[in-house]
Amino acid sequence: MIVSSERLDKLYPAIILASSACTMGWDVELFFTFFGLLALKKGYQPSSLSKDYNEYNEILNEAVSKGSMPKWDELLIKAKETNKLKIFACTTTMGLFKIGKNGIKDFVDDFVGAVTFLGRSKESDINLFF
Amino acid sequence: MYKVDIEVDAKYSFCPGPLLKLFDYAQKAKPGQIIKLIATDPAAPDDVKNWAESVGHEFLIFNEKDGVYEIYIKIIGSS
Repeated sequence: MIVSSERLDKLYPAIILASSACTMGWDVELFFTFFGLLALKKGYQPSSLSKDYNEYNEILNEAVSKGSMPKWDELLIKAKETNKLKIFACTTTMGLFKIGKNGIKDFVDDFVGAVTFLGRSKESDINLFF
Repeated sequence: MYKVDIEVDAKYSFCPGPLLKLFDYAQKAKPGQIIKLIATDPAAPDDVKNWAESVGHEFLIFNEKDGVYEIYIKIIGSS
């Protein structure tokens, strides 16, 4: 799966599907690229929806604070416990945004380029873009 | 009705909350044990059925009353 945005309206669908797939025993790889990569940046916490959906921020935040919706990163870390999920950071974007390996959150498995990701995608049954 | 070994309350949690909670308990459960999942997410019965079929557990039955679902599965192997 390709995660190209750190806005919660993109992040949540990707991670909900990824974590569900892990419980089914599927191997899942998430490739965070361009503005999706920001979600993996240390010290940064995605907190809002895309501008078009601003009016829904409150609803989502309320669901998260009440616990009916888990926090996106808790969901990700929980999915990793199945040992079925791999998280990759896009090196192109790291270069573009001047983020070094040390600036990336610890739950990331590896740093990969486009060709490596495409090669891995070719072997998979399903590819999704968010 | 089934003799329930493990009861999992996932009320008011949205998808994939109920499934993730069930998954945790299913992993620790022993073959033959019956888990009852209580959920309010309307997707839960179908999600649990599809999940159980895909990982090899047995989906037994579900019932619904006032928007609360009680879903029963039987653990077959370890998932």
